[in-house]
Amino acid sequence: MRKISTIEGYIFFFSFQCFTLVKKKANEHVIFLSLFRAGDSPFFFPCRCGLPLVSFLSGTMSHQESQKLDNVNPLETRVEDVIERGDNDFLDDNHDQDEHSESSQSHQAVDESDSSEDEVAPRNTIGDVPLEWYKDEKHIGYDIAGRKITKKERQDKLDSFLASADDSKNWRKIYDEYNDEEVELTKEEIKHIRRLLKGKAPHAEFDPYAPYVDWFKWDDAKHPLSNAPEPKRRFIPSKWESKKVVEYVRAIRKGLIKFDQPKEEPRFYCLWGDDSSSADRTKHLAYIPPPKPKLPGHEESYNPSLEYIPTQEEINSYQLMYEEDRPKFIPKKFTSFRSIPAYENAIKDSFERCLDLYLCPRVRKKRINIDPESLKPKLPSRKDLRPYPSTCYLDYRGHEGAVLSISVEPSGQWIASGSKDGTVRIWEVETGRCLRVWEIGEAVQLVAWNPLPELPVLAASVGADVLILNTGFGNEEEQKRIKELLHIGTPTTDDSDDMSSFLSWIQDEKYDCIRLRHYRTVSSIEWHRKGDYLSTVMPAGESRAVLIHQLSKRLTQRLPFKLHGLPVSSVFHPTRSIFFVATKKNVRVYDLLKQKLIKKLETQLREVSSIAVHPAGDNLIVGSKEGKLCWFDMDLSSKPYKTLKCHPKDITKVAFHRSYPLFASCSDDCTAYIFHGMVYADLNQNPLIVPLEILRGHTSYDGRGVMDCKFHPRQPWLFTAGADSSIKLYCH
Amino acid sequence: MEIERETNEGNSRRIQVRFITKLKAPYKVPTTAIAIPSDLSRLGLSSIVNKLLQAVDSEWKTEPFDFLIDGELVRMSLEQFLLVKGISAEKILEIEYIRAVAPRKEEEPSPHDDWVSAVDGSSPRFILTGCYDSLGRIWKQAGWCTHILEGHSGAISSVRIINSEGAGSVTVATASKDRTLRLWKFDAEDSTDHPARIRAFKILRGHNASVHSIAAKTSGDMICSGSWDCTINLWRTNDTDTNGDAVSIKKRKVNNKIEESQSEGEAVSTLVGHTQCVSSVVWPQQDTIYSASWDHSVRKWDVETGKDLSDIFCGKALNCIDIGGEGLALIAAGGSDPVLRIWDPRKPGTSAPVFQFSSHSSWISACKWHNTSPLHLLSSSYDGKVMLWDLRTAWPVSIIDTHKDKVLCADWWKGDCVVSGGVDAQLRISSDISIQ
Repeated sequence: MRKISTIEGYIFFFSFQCFTLVKKKANEHVIFLSLFRAGDSPFFFPCRCGLPLVSFLSGTMSHQESQKLDNVNPLETRVEDVIERGDNDFLDDNHDQDEHSESSQSHQAVDESDSSEDEVAPRNTIGDVPLEWYKDEKHIGYDIAGRKITKKERQDKLDSFLASADDSKNWRKIYDEYNDEEVELTKEEIKHIRRLLKGKAPHAEFDPYAPYVDWFKWDDAKHPLSNAPEPKRRFIPSKWESKKVVEYVRAIRKGLIKFDQPKEEPRFYCLWGDDSSSADRTKHLAYIPPPKPKLPGHEESYNPSLEYIPTQEEINSYQLMYEEDRPKFIPKKFTSFRSIPAYENAIKDSFERCLDLYLCPRVRKKRINIDPESLKPKLPSRKDLRPYPSTCYLDYRGHEGAVLSISVEPSGQWIASGSKDGTVRIWEVETGRCLRVWEIGEAVQLVAWNPLPELPVLAASVGADVLILNTGFGNEEEQKRIKELLHIGTPTTDDSDDMSSFLSWIQDEKYDCIRLRHYRTVSSIEWHRKGDYLSTVMPAGESRAVLIHQLSKRLTQRLPFKLHGLPVSSVFHPTRSIFFVATKKNVRVYDLLKQKLIKKLETQLREVSSIAVHPAGDNLIVGSKEGKLCWFDMDLSSKPYKTLKCHPKDITKVAFHRSYPLFASCSDDCTAYIFHGMVYADLNQNPLIVPLEILRGHTSYDGRGVMDCKFHPRQPWLFTAGADSSIKLYCH
Repeated sequence: MEIERETNEGNSRRIQVRFITKLKAPYKVPTTAIAIPSDLSRLGLSSIVNKLLQAVDSEWKTEPFDFLIDGELVRMSLEQFLLVKGISAEKILEIEYIRAVAPRKEEEPSPHDDWVSAVDGSSPRFILTGCYDSLGRIWKQAGWCTHILEGHSGAISSVRIINSEGAGSVTVATASKDRTLRLWKFDAEDSTDHPARIRAFKILRGHNASVHSIAAKTSGDMICSGSWDCTINLWRTNDTDTNGDAVSIKKRKVNNKIEESQSEGEAVSTLVGHTQCVSSVVWPQQDTIYSASWDHSVRKWDVETGKDLSDIFCGKALNCIDIGGEGLALIAAGGSDPVLRIWDPRKPGTSAPVFQFSSHSSWISACKWHNTSPLHLLSSSYDGKVMLWDLRTAWPVSIIDTHKDKVLCADWWKGDCVVSGGVDAQLRISSDISIQ
């Protein structure tokens, strides 16, 4: 084998066993590998088909050399660069047909397979040297005999162009720089090039998908390639193998070779798998492990120790227990095993077991391993939030019907109460003494003290009327003023105002007071802080549901806003000219000076029952008939800041303390709740709400519990009015 | 021998004791040491002493005694007491016995027309009461009313005897919820079957709200009053007020009736400082006034300057205050909770009470020190009880439970009686309380 040349990294070998045939006008992409074996027809292996192959190995072989070639390894041609070409005459010259019969034979064979004109040996013998070396020479190389091949006369460029323009076959002419000649490609060659450009085999007759013939298959052949008998060495043990084995054995004995310990299979295993590890089960259905039965103990022995056997007293005491609490099994002593009777509950137990299996709800209960204490919000201790009302010390008794409403005088010396028995009473806070009684005759729904200490008048609502009563407190001058204020000369028919049709200011002679006659039942009375204005709410009053009365001028105005929903209660802002109206679902906040709606608070409650404003005015609590209490921070949002669900029944009233950070709610469940509600001046700090105390003591009457609650204006005390006709004072 | 037999019955430990006393002759027992069982309590000890006295004087009537060991009243069994106090039972124990402080007699109730709101028993000759029917009454003794003080238009909230020294005329003051104070004069000796109706000789106006309490200066020429308008007013009681006379003369002419001259007076000065109702004032010394208020404070005022000298903060609204104890140093006050507190202002940390008596179950309406004993005081409460306290024990010495409803006022009378009035419109007198 001989290395011929190296072109761009490809190494071509020529072996002497094969003869190669180079297609002279070959195409650039194909490497033909031809194999000649004795008596075989030549094979052409298209190798590296379609690759832009690099180079061309021109006829560097001498004829003699090529005769020696046995085997042909890849040869490459490239059209673009150079096309090997041999003229017919050169072919004739170079090709000594008579030199070797072998070669002629092979040539013939080649001829058979290829066109005759391809038989061209390269004229030039310089080999693969740069042509620049011959640039200045007169010859381009040497022929096979060693004679110089002179360069042809250089044609004038213009002449050659003209000649080429005239020549119709010019497009198939190629200049062979190596041999210094022009080559005209034949039609066949053009065809081959085209086919190669398309990526096909250059020969049209070549079938790339020819059925494979396994020439070397001889297993099933009748006459295998070799019919020789099996050699002896196949039957005798190999000496070298046995040496190797001995070597291994020694190594193992010395401990040089160590084997992995075989994995130990557990000797015993759970036949039905492990109950606890349900990893594979969780993939599918939720697996609920059955509860582990209690293991039998000594007490279940037929002959238990004495301490397990209950005494007669204990057995008797079991009879007093509930069926469920009784022990299921009572230990008993038997002299021998055979004297144990049959288990009397066998059938019952198995029946219950069946029932259990059938009826047991197969529901996985999510058990959360969180300490419930840690879930509680961190609240300050109740002790630190003192004082707050906690104990009932005083009882104001005298009413004969449910006390519907109470109101505390601004200085805290007296309270007024209105009751279902038709009386308004005034009590001394300190002693519980009833100082004054007005017999109205009709259930008094609401009472409200005027917030001015120097104007001790009391508003009380009786059905559709609101009475403004003179309490008789205050010194002579104040009494004089009050009497003037509460005196109406003639029933004023608010000149040409349409108000008169549904509201009238009447002098009530019997109680020496003003009677404000509404046309619907009044559900809420609220005084303005300056004591001159009074707002009343008639839930059924439609557009005139909320009225604001001015006491000094005896004027009545209606709230000039459309209320969406039934109004329940109204309240004045404690410092600014803002008015809150609670409808059944929402709380609307109006600015009375600018005459517009400021805010709408959505309570998300079923039915609002009462409302109270924090003395600073920015917070609001709303009690509802479903027992929920909402705290609104007006600075935060229109949604409740906190919703407290404390009462199982309707909240009847909520109240704020005027100076202490306390608020309370009372309900029909006969309790009142006291909360700590701290509002900070720092706007970044949210209000702190802490439940403090549940005040009990009232009894339910007619389904109603505590009807009203009010804080003492100066002490941390709470008054509650109950349906059981008592008023209670809870002190700190 | 009887004692020996009796004490032999118990099979418990025995203690050597010796009974001593400061009581006078008929109460003395022989001071020999005797062995008594250790599980005896006050009743057992008392019966032993009575037995001993009977051994001396066969006509001895049984009498309850109280027992003091190391200056502390025995309120549990002896064994427990010694254990708690850490007293050795090996030595001879000296037990001092005193007559038990308890009312032995209940006088007939004196009926009123309405709630009895105030009572003053500082004069041994009579009792002054104020009532919600706006009348004041003078009681010579239980059930015997000699005078009716007529003139207020509102319930009387407080009464005070100003001057009872004079043989004939006695001056008293009443405060009412009609914002006025009235001064009255009458002759205490003058006693008829039918109560005499008298009118005030002086009306003191100046408070803006109902007057809650009065206190009189010890010399009797000035009174002070606390009111719901948060102020304390000082008034003169002498009737040399020419200005007021003119008014009253005019009034008399208009009325055209024969009656005593009625003058009006104005406040001499006003002590401002309390922020809420002044519920109680006392004037124990010449120039200091103590006041208790619903603003949870007890204040000490200097009369001359009108300045607030000291302040004790209590945490609860206070209803009553009294000064007593050794050297008039202890302040007792009760209020809107069942605890009677006693402060010692001489101690550096005065904010904490030195004694707290909490056997009541409702508001305390009145508290009074005994005027001779520095150890005894009484308290009345809305739970209907009057309790007598001894500073030497934390339990009430005696409980008077005769009232049917709230007790609004209570006072000592004659040194051995307790007078109390309440919502049941009765003035009750529990007498024969022996206080040394």
